[in-house]
Amino acid sequence: MTLTLIRQQWKAFWRSKNTGQSILIQVILGIFILYILINLLAVSFFLDKILGEIFPGKNILSSFSGLLLYYFLFDLILRYQFQELPTLRVKPYLHLPIKRSQIINYLSFISLWSGFNLAPFLLTVPFLAKIVLPQYGVSVFAGFIIAIAALTFFNHFFSLWLKRKENGNAWVMLIFLASIGGLAYIDFSLHLISISGFSDFIFSGIIKNSLLSFLLLIPFASIFLVNYFYLKKNLYLDELHSSTENQKSSSEIPFLNRFGVVGDLAATELKLIFRNKRSKSAVIKSFLFIFYGLLFYTNPRLGSQSNIFAPIFCGLLMTGIFIVNYGQFMFGWQSSHFDGLLANKISVSDFFKSKFLLFTLFATVNLILTIPYVYFGWRILIMHTAMFLWNLGVNATLVLYFANRNFKSIDLSKSASFNWQGVGASQWILSIPLFLGPFIIFLPLYWMGLESLAIAMVGIIGLGFIITRKFWVETLSSNFKNKRYQIAEGFRNK
Amino acid sequence: MIQIQSLQKIYNGVVVVNIPELNIRQGETVGLIGNNGAGKTTLFRMMLDLIRPEKGEVLSKDQNVANSDSWKDYTASFLDEGFLIDYLTPEEYFYFTGGLHDLSKAHIDSELIKFTDFFNGEILNRGKYIRDLSKGNQCKVGVASCLLQNPEVLMLDEPFANIDPSTQIRLKNMIRDINREKHLTTIISSHDLNHVTDVCERILLMEKGMIIKDIETNQNTLLELEEYFSVLQ
Repeated sequence: MTLTLIRQQWKAFWRSKNTGQSILIQVILGIFILYILINLLAVSFFLDKILGEIFPGKNILSSFSGLLLYYFLFDLILRYQFQELPTLRVKPYLHLPIKRSQIINYLSFISLWSGFNLAPFLLTVPFLAKIVLPQYGVSVFAGFIIAIAALTFFNHFFSLWLKRKENGNAWVMLIFLASIGGLAYIDFSLHLISISGFSDFIFSGIIKNSLLSFLLLIPFASIFLVNYFYLKKNLYLDELHSSTENQKSSSEIPFLNRFGVVGDLAATELKLIFRNKRSKSAVIKSFLFIFYGLLFYTNPRLGSQSNIFAPIFCGLLMTGIFIVNYGQFMFGWQSSHFDGLLANKISVSDFFKSKFLLFTLFATVNLILTIPYVYFGWRILIMHTAMFLWNLGVNATLVLYFANRNFKSIDLSKSASFNWQGVGASQWILSIPLFLGPFIIFLPLYWMGLESLAIAMVGIIGLGFIITRKFWVETLSSNFKNKRYQIAEGFRNK
Repeated sequence: MIQIQSLQKIYNGVVVVNIPELNIRQGETVGLIGNNGAGKTTLFRMMLDLIRPEKGEVLSKDQNVANSDSWKDYTASFLDEGFLIDYLTPEEYFYFTGGLHDLSKAHIDSELIKFTDFFNGEILNRGKYIRDLSKGNQCKVGVASCLLQNPEVLMLDEPFANIDPSTQIRLKNMIRDINREKHLTTIISSHDLNHVTDVCERILLMEKGMIIKDIETNQNTLLELEEYFSVLQ
């Protein structure tokens, strides 16, 4: 039965409407994953040397054992962020004479096929074979493998269970991350507990008696059963669909009222963003980019006064991330009701003005949030502002130009991480001018030694685009009128 | 009101709509019927400028709908759930579409009272997004939003399909009343011959993209149509 289900999923993949595109994406993704896995293998092979460097004079195996639990904690965080819930469209199967347990078995089995489950083995097996096997023999080696497998699968089913149970509830995610952070704090800063000591304790126990590793199978087995029974109890259409049935309030955004229809359109799109899973997580992630500057500015080599490229790049990203991240999929976000937008009394120029209003709103909030970076020097703030103007003037216009050429719909209810739906050639091409544009203006002047002028030029050109926005709205509108049938057609093919 | 001239739509070499000429006068209630694949929805979509015809044009008040937006001022339409903004509550959606026609919230609220029976307590103040409503209730939202806009032209694609019998009857009465009071031009498609002959003064029967019958409704129309559809099998 499980095999039949797998075969049908296989067919679903090959017979879906945009197979060609998803194969290309799978291949790119596959190469990317392969690259990471090869890196892991290399790290594992030289792990004894690396550990010797980091912890000089310490027994290599005990420092390895000390690190293992940290690795699995980190693994848990990563999984919680990125691991996908296995998606079988269970709806067509629930009414057929297929046992519930068979469907659940399939879901559990297919979920194991993930790079997250391969990585721990790639990272440890070569090391274990190199160090443990010759020194302690096969039984200890096998004990280690069993222990690592048990921890890997525990993490796997634990994160699946948590994700399913909470269905993307942001609070649970925060509590979860906070408790792991708290654990790390108690360990590293307060020295009250020692995870590495505990980790070492477990694995040195296994060295003494390899049968102890079977004890680790107990938490794995229990979380597997918890997950199993949770699924079994909740494999109903209505409960899998939406678990929360709280009252939805009709929230209004008074600030936007003053902009008339344009404001209404922007307010509606804000509701789109915050009431749908994929758009919400895309936007929340773009707010996290506010911290991007810390990576550069705290680094003495990159953030020094003489380095001018860091603030340009950071400013571009931090004030423009919403424009890039959300804008690249426009108007796919609205694909499910695009026909309605076309048939209603909405003028095309109002439609575009509302997009600019939305961009302005988010970019301004981001600019305000980046003001504290003034701590690293006034120049940074000035450069951020110049990039802000560039983003709003040039990049916003560019993004909308490409939006007129994006025919791929987006299902708002799916989560955002590793979600490649709606990604097409236009997104790849789009990113080039968005990131290179300001440098084309900046570099020639900079090389001539006119650094301040170079910064000013970027800002002035951005400002120029903002002042002439009326013209751009008209150009985009007439362009949209030519493309509208194609866009609507594409959005109807889900 | 609406004129169609040598309109053609071709998909993959198959002509799905082919209408040499059609005139819909102001105040007419037109029923569009035909089996699946006859081209009803495609015709609607071309009348609303959602797809580009291969040939010909649709004129609304003598303006080509593809070249001007002015028809949107007086045309309200509901073809499918793709017309609804599904992450809004019904109230928000009514305020939104009403706002596009410069109707105030207070005005919309007072207009919505007229729909109390039609909504049957399942739409307003339920605290649900449109996406969480049943198909029938979504249809009610779409139809109500059309009527709120106070249109001169109303287009509905199979409005009776998903709603319960009581609501079907209420909808029929509503359309008839509005038509009498406001002289609305209405185009409705349906598979329910009873309802269509009940509401519409004129019936267009489509087959393979062509309008093969164009009849004024009288007491024999229902029989005539039933005969046509039973022969087809």
